[in-house]
Amino acid sequence: MPKGMRNLALLCALALALSTVVTAAQKDHYLHIKVDDPAKGESVNVNLPLSMAEKILPTVNRGNLHQGRITISNQDLDGVDLRAILDAIRIAPDNEFVTMKHHGQNVRVAKSNGNLVVHVHEAGEGGHNVDITVPMKVVDALFSTAKKDELDVAAAIRALADAGDTLLVSVQEATQHVRIWVDSRSSQE
Amino acid sequence: MVLLGKFALGIAGTAVAGMGLLCSEGMIQVKDVEKRPEGHQIHVIAPALLLPIGMHFAPKDGISEASSEIQPWLPTIRAALAQLRECDDFAFVEVNEPGRQVRLAKSGGSLVVDVNDEEESVHVSAPIRAMATAVEELAAVAPATER
Repeated sequence: MPKGMRNLALLCALALALSTVVTAAQKDHYLHIKVDDPAKGESVNVNLPLSMAEKILPTVNRGNLHQGRITISNQDLDGVDLRAILDAIRIAPDNEFVTMKHHGQNVRVAKSNGNLVVHVHEAGEGGHNVDITVPMKVVDALFSTAKKDELDVAAAIRALADAGDTLLVSVQEATQHVRIWVDSRSSQE
Repeated sequence: MVLLGKFALGIAGTAVAGMGLLCSEGMIQVKDVEKRPEGHQIHVIAPALLLPIGMHFAPKDGISEASSEIQPWLPTIRAALAQLRECDDFAFVEVNEPGRQVRLAKSGGSLVVDVNDEEESVHVSAPIRAMATAVEELAAVAPATER
């Protein structure tokens, strides 16, 4: 094979490999919500590409939502400085921050493997279990705005897409099961 | 005879080109089947190009209110439709309950709605590109001060 042809073939192979890598890197992530009630035979599945949510959110300017950010009033926070609390959590090592037992209800808030984890377990019949796992990067993005009374939801969605496959919320209540997670598959199968 | 053949070829060519143009935006499909005996069955397949054309020639008085109401949401609708055209096929929402299934999905450049219950089944499919053009036609009806 002539040298020119060999170089051309090599260049084509390199371009193909690069395009494959770029395509894989740009693969869209989807937010999935699944509500299941086997006892009633009901289920609701919602799938939303995060890129779509990221592009749509800044166009909605209604109520407290504007340009992908939510304004929260001091009244909503009841005087709690959320940023100060999160700053403290960010620099703290993996640990349990809150454990509470009250009337058969166990609540646990912890930082584990770069995630903020909340577990709520309610004992007894009809009790519910709630597991919430939020990557700290998402929490950081949420509070990345310059204004103290704003949450940057659009930035949080971007961070969520970068965080990869994550189970965010799982709620088991009586016969109903709710799951919210992010992965790169467009369907829930 | 040769002249007649050329004339026929010209007509056939024009017809094919016209059909191609008419179908360039895809097809809108509506299917509604009632499940009871002697229930109606409606099946319409129409070129999607007719949707924005119909919007363009629709009486302005009839759609001006809808046009005004859609104005605040135009950036959102535009962003949603643009993103929809870019992303892969997927189902937005699937609802399953005893006796009823609802599915809203993006499939092959179209937005597809399927509703299936004990009484009837409905299937609606509309190309996203035609929907975007129709939305722009609707938006253009509002007075310039509202846009």
